[in-house]
Amino acid sequence: MPAVQETIDRVRKIDVDQYKYGFQTEIEMDKAPKGLSEDIIRLISEKKGEPDWMLEWRLGAYRRWLTLEEPTWARVHYPKIDFQDIHYYAAPKSTPGPKSLSEVDPELLKVYEKLGIPLKEQEILAGVQKPAAADEDEIGDNVYKSGRVAVDAVFDSVSVVTTFKEELAKAGVIFCSISEAIREHPELVQKYLGSVVPTSDNFYATLNSAVFTDGSFVFVPKGVRCPMELSTYFRINEKNTGQFERTLIIAEEGAYVSYLEGCTAPQRDENQLHAAVVELIALDDAEIKYSTVQNWYPGDAEGKGGIYNFVTKRGDCRGDRSKISWTQVETGSAITWKYPSCILRGDDSSGEFYSIAVSNGYQQVDSGTKMIHLGKNTSSRIISKGIAAGFSQNTYRGQVSAHRKATNARNFTNCDSLLIGDQCGAHTVPYMEAKNATAKFEHEATTSKISEDQKFYVMQRGIPEEEAIALIVNGFVKDVIQQLPMEFAVEAQKLIGISLEGSVG
Amino acid sequence: MNMHAQPQRTLAETALIDAFGERLSLLPGDGAVMVKRDDAIEAIKHGLPTRRVESWHYTDLRRLLTKVPAFEAGAVVKALAPVLEGSAVMPVLNGVSNAKLPEIEGVTVQRLSEKLTDGSVAPGLDPYGDDDAIGALNTAFVADGYFVDIADGAVLEKPVELQNLQAGGQSHVRLLARVGAGAKAIVVERQAGEASEDGEALVSSVSQLVVGDGAEVTWLIVQEQPDTATHLAQFKAHIGKDAKLTLFVMNAGGRLVRQEVVVRTTGEGADFKLRGINLLAGETHTDTTMVLDHAVPHTTSTEVIRNVVTGKARGVFQGRINVHQYAQKTNAKMACNTLLLSDDGEFSTKPELEIFADDVVCGHGATVTEIDHNHLFYLMARGIDEKSARGLLVKAFVAEVIEELDDEALVEALEERLDGWFSTHG
Repeated sequence: MPAVQETIDRVRKIDVDQYKYGFQTEIEMDKAPKGLSEDIIRLISEKKGEPDWMLEWRLGAYRRWLTLEEPTWARVHYPKIDFQDIHYYAAPKSTPGPKSLSEVDPELLKVYEKLGIPLKEQEILAGVQKPAAADEDEIGDNVYKSGRVAVDAVFDSVSVVTTFKEELAKAGVIFCSISEAIREHPELVQKYLGSVVPTSDNFYATLNSAVFTDGSFVFVPKGVRCPMELSTYFRINEKNTGQFERTLIIAEEGAYVSYLEGCTAPQRDENQLHAAVVELIALDDAEIKYSTVQNWYPGDAEGKGGIYNFVTKRGDCRGDRSKISWTQVETGSAITWKYPSCILRGDDSSGEFYSIAVSNGYQQVDSGTKMIHLGKNTSSRIISKGIAAGFSQNTYRGQVSAHRKATNARNFTNCDSLLIGDQCGAHTVPYMEAKNATAKFEHEATTSKISEDQKFYVMQRGIPEEEAIALIVNGFVKDVIQQLPMEFAVEAQKLIGISLEGSVG
Repeated sequence: MNMHAQPQRTLAETALIDAFGERLSLLPGDGAVMVKRDDAIEAIKHGLPTRRVESWHYTDLRRLLTKVPAFEAGAVVKALAPVLEGSAVMPVLNGVSNAKLPEIEGVTVQRLSEKLTDGSVAPGLDPYGDDDAIGALNTAFVADGYFVDIADGAVLEKPVELQNLQAGGQSHVRLLARVGAGAKAIVVERQAGEASEDGEALVSSVSQLVVGDGAEVTWLIVQEQPDTATHLAQFKAHIGKDAKLTLFVMNAGGRLVRQEVVVRTTGEGADFKLRGINLLAGETHTDTTMVLDHAVPHTTSTEVIRNVVTGKARGVFQGRINVHQYAQKTNAKMACNTLLLSDDGEFSTKPELEIFADDVVCGHGATVTEIDHNHLFYLMARGIDEKSARGLLVKAFVAEVIEELDDEALVEALEERLDGWFSTHG
């Protein structure tokens, strides 16, 4: 962003290749051999100490996966992925369940510090060790105000640490890695896992179901408002590994939770695969807010390397008056293939999707959402802002549908694209399907470039061109930034500025 | 056509392939045309497109085309009175053009069967893509039609009306037109028929238009097939430098209808307007699909589609605007508005923008809704009963598009057709 312009090396200005999180960390790793087979799945399941039903579930998904073909409908192009050339399991060696941060490999902690995720600091600030008894009653309100965030850090295939666990447990909230949840809360996992994204859903979701190694699990019981923001930080470090995480969030009747994920990976020449599945379940009157700041390594200026981000995210508004809101800021990944969706099953339920997708260099983004209106009086809102620069291709692909019984379904969609430079492309592919006469759908889309008038107006006030563009772009994406939790709104703004650097001229 | 290998041919696919074998010796064409026909039937042998083929996502032709009738028509048809009074009428009756050609100053007309026999139209017979099932079907079977050539600078006083009429059976027709530089013309393309006794008809019709530099053309497609007909039509046009094309499409009939509009701007300053109304009733499945290429800089386009869905009708609108990399300063706007009036009806729309140039202004809007209750209340509060009030509002919704045409005779003629539809379906 303009404010930090001076701190960014002038020499690198014309180069898009300036990914901040491209470092690699030497940590002793425990890896499964390359390739995918039933044996590998058994190995993963064993390493995780999973019960038999889980193994069967994985194997069922794997057998199904063998019969599926890779989808080709998205507007992305990449060489064929060799699924046998990937390590499906990689974990830092020292991981058998650290009880506290002091047991965590200091190298690991350094990684998160570099990434700006100060796990340790937060724990100290939180004073988990000795909470004053008098304060305890107020915790519910106070922690929320103090803006603390509980973090689950996932390093390659495993969750290395989860902060604030005890405090959350007091409120009745379960926040842990999914592996732990399978061991500790099998009844919840068995009930909800795969109920939104079934194992047979699509090629990548099925692959994920077979080999997922970790991810986060959140359970907010009836009537509880989660006392702090929850967050997961994903980091791919190891070479030739795929990251397959699985996140499951359940908000019971009247519960509320806000969750944020962030992602980075080292700079490498080869492409790495990331195929995650996220399932959200909101029961009656519950609300889930899910925010993503995705900053996987996008590849270098020539389009070499980068993460293939093939993600299935879906929320199920299962209960009446439930609400699910997706907010995403997509700046990274060589290829993004991602459609966070809402199934509006409960009456009066509502879904929201706010997205900023910034592509530069040779990035390809094909992202959007699906709003499936099934219940009565359901409403959805889609705000998508695509910004394409360099040689990138940026596609919005979204579906809104009202089924026969979805009376009074309401949708508003707005997707705007901004083009910076004449070598990039912006595409809009919305699908609207109405099968009920009382449905009311509106869709609008525009594509344009930053007008000379706007730029002139800002520059005339003494602001250099690049900063002027960043300023205008930030105005363009404001609607979405406002939806992010405050702490991350600033980060997201900076990220957009960095992503667009070198796009002028 | 269809990239996926089909496990088994459907009855319709088999019938088409068999019919080709039987008809081949009767179809006009020189060697070059026959090669095109062979290629086309090969494409059909790979299977009709399913919903997995993106451009056919909402019209699964393989599933929807259940029956292919025999070639022979069920009855004799006669040319209709023209939509616009005083038009020069050129009918194609049950797939055969009229030997007696009209004489119009500045216009040369030829029967297409002759142009097929001498092979001069062979280069234009290629389908425009591997998902172009209508192009392939038509190329395989096309037997007749017209070629209308309007000389440079000719300003036609009277409209030209091309009628494609059928009474059952199959007919495969091509209507070609070239409008010379600086010429002006109004052309009506009439697609209609009578319900045959066994109730089956399969029509494929491809219109190809080249609008010369500086020319101005208004082309009206009026489709009023009986509700037993399958109507697969395509309109393809190139618009030259500073030329203007206004295309008006009215779909008010047919059981399975797909009207494709494939337009390309080829010269700077070209302008394209598409206005469409789809009046859907009964159990019709009507699909309007547009692919518009802005291929050169400084071209403009606007598209407005209005749909009324009643009964168990299913409607589809797909509109894709491609702005090529060098097509800077393109200005393109598209809107698709639908009134969904029945709980058994449905409407699906997919307005797409594919943009590779940066200095452009493009936008699209789409809405699906029922009649506004405030509007209804306003009229009813003035003593108008609900049925009439609804009728007024629905009519006003589509008439708005017609009224935009700045030719009084044209507006009146189209409103008359609109009234005709409302009196039977309103």
